[in-house]
Amino acid sequence: MSVATRSGRVKLPPEQPSIPQRKGGTGAYWMYLLPGFALLIVIVIVPLIWNVYLTFTKWKGVRTPEFIGLENWQKLLTDDDFWTSFTNSVWMVIAMVVVPTIVGLIVAALLFDVVGRKFGGKVGSFLRATYYLPQILPVAIAGIVVGWIVRPGADGALNQILGFFGIPPVDWLGQMPSALIVLMVVLIWVQLGYPIVVFMAALQRVDPELYEAAELDGANWFQRFSAITMSIIRPEIFVVTLTCTIAALKVFGPVYVITRGGPAGATLVPAYYAYTEFFTKRNVGYGATIATVLTIVVVIVSIVFIRVQNSIELKERAGL
Amino acid sequence: MARITRTTKRGLVLLSALTVTGLALAGCSGGAGSAEESGDTLKLWHYESADSAMGKAWNEAIKVFEEETGATVEFEEKSFEQIQKTASQVLDTDAAPDLMEFNKGNATAGFLASTGLITDISDAVDEYGWADKLAPSLQTTAKYSEDGVMGGDAWYGIPNYGEFVGVYYNQDAFEAAGLEIPTTYDEFVSVLDAFVAQGITPLAEAGAEYPLGQLWYQLALSNGDRQFVNDYQLYENPVDWQGDTLTTATTTLKEYVDKGYIASDVSSIKAEDAGVAFINGTAPIFVSGSWWYGRFVNEATGFDWTMTAFPGADLSLGSSGNLWVVPENAANKELAYQFIDITMRPEIQAIIGNNGGVPVAADPADITDEKSAELISTFNGILDQDGLSFYPDWPAPGFYDVIVQELQGLVTGVQDVKTTNANLGEQYDEGTAEFR
Repeated sequence: MSVATRSGRVKLPPEQPSIPQRKGGTGAYWMYLLPGFALLIVIVIVPLIWNVYLTFTKWKGVRTPEFIGLENWQKLLTDDDFWTSFTNSVWMVIAMVVVPTIVGLIVAALLFDVVGRKFGGKVGSFLRATYYLPQILPVAIAGIVVGWIVRPGADGALNQILGFFGIPPVDWLGQMPSALIVLMVVLIWVQLGYPIVVFMAALQRVDPELYEAAELDGANWFQRFSAITMSIIRPEIFVVTLTCTIAALKVFGPVYVITRGGPAGATLVPAYYAYTEFFTKRNVGYGATIATVLTIVVVIVSIVFIRVQNSIELKERAGL
Repeated sequence: MARITRTTKRGLVLLSALTVTGLALAGCSGGAGSAEESGDTLKLWHYESADSAMGKAWNEAIKVFEEETGATVEFEEKSFEQIQKTASQVLDTDAAPDLMEFNKGNATAGFLASTGLITDISDAVDEYGWADKLAPSLQTTAKYSEDGVMGGDAWYGIPNYGEFVGVYYNQDAFEAAGLEIPTTYDEFVSVLDAFVAQGITPLAEAGAEYPLGQLWYQLALSNGDRQFVNDYQLYENPVDWQGDTLTTATTTLKEYVDKGYIASDVSSIKAEDAGVAFINGTAPIFVSGSWWYGRFVNEATGFDWTMTAFPGADLSLGSSGNLWVVPENAANKELAYQFIDITMRPEIQAIIGNNGGVPVAADPADITDEKSAELISTFNGILDQDGLSFYPDWPAPGFYDVIVQELQGLVTGVQDVKTTNANLGEQYDEGTAEFR
């Protein structure tokens, strides 16, 4: 029996824990968490507090920071580069979350449901590994390779191919929107393998009889995909979406290697902007402010994702 | 309860073990550092490649130093970026080297000087007589004020070599096109027009890195005077970013792109690509620095080429090369001074000069390589007329990236001349505010 709460959510009795509880309290278990907590404090909490403190200072990275109150935060509000960088984050989310998740779902389902069944599991595994390969490629190497491909002028690889069809050379990284498009294509290419691998692992949980039954009932591939696949691997979709969104918001490497935020700041993203303020302009206080905003955004996004996921799971368990 | 206590003890033992391991590791690194800081070791950092003119010279200097002093040089090869971005943090610790190569200028060596991270070596300069070996315009970048502005009274570094930006010409391409190497700016523009008329993009350029910004500043220098340089670099007066000097420079640069002197896709081209375009003969003219000279000697062998100062300009980009600086936390400052002194000897300077570098204290008779002699002669010509005018990104930290971004905006048509100069001016004013 379920009880509707004020917020409209559904409250269920807690599930029975799968691991038997030992009588006599859980105090001893906390001991095992202490090293983790110690590391959390040293590596995350203290730097976070220090970072937030720096947002109220002017500091060049050496000697004593000078307290300046809210100046950095005020500057942020009117800083066009800052707003451009966050606008570009939307494009990064499209490239690293939206497209890879949708394409990853379709490809994973095809590999599992069609390729796996027709050509055997080994072919499916081989293709899965192929899609995953860009993930293990260091971003610096990927950047160099992409730089060769989209190199300006007639001797760039892509321009040579275009030239074969009589299309004049394009300055891919030197103008908009092509620079942003190249960056997004690279991110999609690199990112795609991750959701495919996760989704294919999740699909192992699907009982093949469900597909067979649906097939006997006359369901086509898309109907099976939407009714069975999507429903069963929803938790994995949430995980992939959340982790990829966080990665997209703090993307740095590809931008650093491929465009350096150019041309004319058109591909600037918050993490790269914070980096330039930290290390090239030595505006550590302002860089910390950008980094803090980025952290806040990531935390908010994470909380929203987790709450939505919990809400949907609760409804599912309640049979709504 | 007893079980919990035992577990607690086990946990504490584990924690203690982790702590002790951490301390031991820290202790190990500390111990190693202590050994390195003994009196007979010179801890040296620089970022010149072993086959560069400076790399060869300093390798020889290390040998001489070890023979003469009996001390050991502990050399750590660093990258330019590595030292540029992290040196200030390292210099504030006991891990600082005894001697380090560092970029010159207000935002770099000046910054370290103003924060007290590098040593005022004025006494050593007097003791060893280095000032007598350096031309006055080379001294500017080695001396800083309390605020870290170059041209001050106190010595914070010693340069071993000089550098400047000039124009490289492919003489074979000129001959094939029926053109002469220009000696005035009007002739230079005529040559550019002539190449364009023949379907050749004459200038190798790179808008994604420093070359385009350097051309822009050279165009400003061609219109400006020494006072402009003093205002821009030494903050003597506010810079008028909408004034004639900088407006003409930015307008001219835009015209270079519009008229086809520079490739339309310049904004995404890197310095390496521009240099290679000159080496492989694609572009007959390259406005860039003397740091390419040695490489061109080795690689641009398919045609005759020459280099001159920018035609018609009294002022050229250039300065002393990078500096030897002595960190305030250095353990062996005296050894560092002895090493610097060896690098200033004529025989070490001659290695720089005979390998495509520009030595600051070489005996001309020691320069046996004809091509190198030509380069040094051009540099000395600029020195004689007090023409060294530094680099456009020096006045403010991070201004290099600003120039790249803004000029990309200009040449891609995203923004006009006025907006470009306004944006540059805004960032310049913000970055230089604390030096004024």
